[in-house]
Amino acid sequence: MTAPVIPDYLHRMWETLPEGRIPAKIFNDPAVHTLEKQRLFSRAWVFLAHESEIPHPGDYVLRWIADLSVIVVRDEHGQVRAFRNACTHRGNQVCKAEMGNASHFRCSYHGWTFKNTGELIGVPYHREVYRGRLDRAEWGLRPVRIDTYGGLIFGTLDPNADPLDEYLGGFQFYLDFFLKPGPEGAEVYGPPERWVSDTDWKICAENFGGDGYHTPVAHQFGFALGFYPSSGRTHFMGYAVHIPGRGHCIGIGHTPGLPPFVGFPPEVVEGYMNALSPEQISVFRDARMSVATVFPNLSFLIQPFSLAPGQPGLKFCTMRLWHPRGPGKIEMWTWCLVPKHIPAELKHEIYRVYSLAFGAAGTFEQDDFENWTNLSRQHAAFNADSFELAYLQGLDLEPIADFPGPGRAFTPYVTEIGFRNLWGTWLNYLLTPLGEPVDPARVPPAFHPPETQPVAD
Amino acid sequence: MTEAVTRSSPTVDDLLLHHEISQFLYDEAALLVERRYDDWVELFTDDALYEVPIRVTRERGAAWEVSPTGRLFDDTKQTLAVRVARLNTEYAWAEDPPSRVRYYLSNIRVRPADQQDEYHVHYNVLIYRSRGELPEYELLSTQRTDLLRRTESGWRIARRTIIVDQSVLSVRNLSYFL
Ligand SMILES: [Fe+2]
Repeated sequence: MTAPVIPDYLHRMWETLPEGRIPAKIFNDPAVHTLEKQRLFSRAWVFLAHESEIPHPGDYVLRWIADLSVIVVRDEHGQVRAFRNACTHRGNQVCKAEMGNASHFRCSYHGWTFKNTGELIGVPYHREVYRGRLDRAEWGLRPVRIDTYGGLIFGTLDPNADPLDEYLGGFQFYLDFFLKPGPEGAEVYGPPERWVSDTDWKICAENFGGDGYHTPVAHQFGFALGFYPSSGRTHFMGYAVHIPGRGHCIGIGHTPGLPPFVGFPPEVVEGYMNALSPEQISVFRDARMSVATVFPNLSFLIQPFSLAPGQPGLKFCTMRLWHPRGPGKIEMWTWCLVPKHIPAELKHEIYRVYSLAFGAAGTFEQDDFENWTNLSRQHAAFNADSFELAYLQGLDLEPIADFPGPGRAFTPYVTEIGFRNLWGTWLNYLLTPLGEPVDPARVPPAFHPPETQPVAD
Repeated sequence: MTEAVTRSSPTVDDLLLHHEISQFLYDEAALLVERRYDDWVELFTDDALYEVPIRVTRERGAAWEVSPTGRLFDDTKQTLAVRVARLNTEYAWAEDPPSRVRYYLSNIRVRPADQQDEYHVHYNVLIYRSRGELPEYELLSTQRTDLLRRTESGWRIARRTIIVDQSVLSVRNLSYFL
């Protein structure tokens, strides 16, 4: 591999980030995109699929890790496996459908055939043309290392990556709110919706890491018409939590006086009571909404939408993958997660409000992508040396000492502390050469409590 | 499906019906182009469904390519009205300034439905969208299936299903109606 090109401004960003300054260029730069493929997506745990997408033996879906096509399949014994979607003979894709059920995959070029366990079982003219030089055991589909949490299947191309549990670093506590709306968990409602847009994946991942700041403006219609039960006066209230050095972050918005678990049907409230710990319940019972990013590019959101103005509305959960397609280009994947244990009609009712709010046609998503597409275009034009973005919120906040959950928690909800940790983590991956471990302890703290504040001139 | 209306030797009534329905659909498309959304929503019956299923790339012979459950739009007249209420505010940023959208209708086929005065209408719609000063445009090739009802006050849409030909859409968003 040729030596990676590291733009100078990334080294300078290491210095300016703790002061809340980020070069706009990182959001749309071909050199950064290449470096992300070489050093980030080659080493991080990347979301592949939800287990409910492949419930039966033989079920498969086709997914991506950066530019690499990956087959995620449940084999005949029920074990989930992942493989590079590439025939080991010439590299052609052995699977061309987004999803389906197959006991084996056959390459349409020369006919090599692989079982859904990856084993090479068919080679045309095996004896006649290879004459004993091809050991089939050596030429199976190339496996991708996977691990799961709460129904989420992640894959990594790095054999030395920290185990998924360590990588999530306690964020599981918060993910459970999205993944465990009952003891049986959640399932996807239908296949993911996908579209490609001139938007950088990072601005989306950041937004879903807890950008409560944009909501009253970007989604003002919801407030003005009463479809979204929050008020501009109190919208900033709540909590922001992040896992230092790991990049994960969550925003939890509070509206004073809301009844506990408002907007969830009684079946779901009961599900939460059975599935979550008392500490988790104490964090989430009063949440108006919650929005979280698992580093680098998987996000979740639970929020209400009300068809009748002024009502508490119905809460839905969306899971989304911000897949990088190029510098300033995203392939958007979005799912609706519904509680497994509730009646089909209720799942559909929840899906209906989800699709009214999110997905390409969603009323919230529309405004986000309008903003994100426009600013990604700006970022491509900015000169890295002359345009820094202001990430100054919460620089001198102190973490809440007795917060019931892991990580560092702050109040209010509207703050940029989690984003500084997110981009610090990102930068750590980009500046750590391949072969060296990405050390979470290197990421600078995302806040300066008063006693450690840098001295002003 | 009962007897085809567009048969080899159509009657004058068949031609009139085809003409009437085509004109209704052109007029309806004009309402969207002119952003007269309140008038547009009134063309749907109270029990109407407006659905855009998710299309998935599947192997030949798969049970379905158009998702039985997943939807880009999963709307009733009530939720269409919510979308329109939003578009009528000053805060529908995705449509301010407005996109230029145009609908090209073709291949219109009319078949009688089970109920009297109801017709299935199958046709293609090519949708062009231009936004801001960008020279690039978005183009969506779609197939529509409508259930149209003839009422006292004119034609009404009882059900509209739109299937987009792309499984991965090349759009920034769908802030316009398909
Ligand atoms: Fe948003």
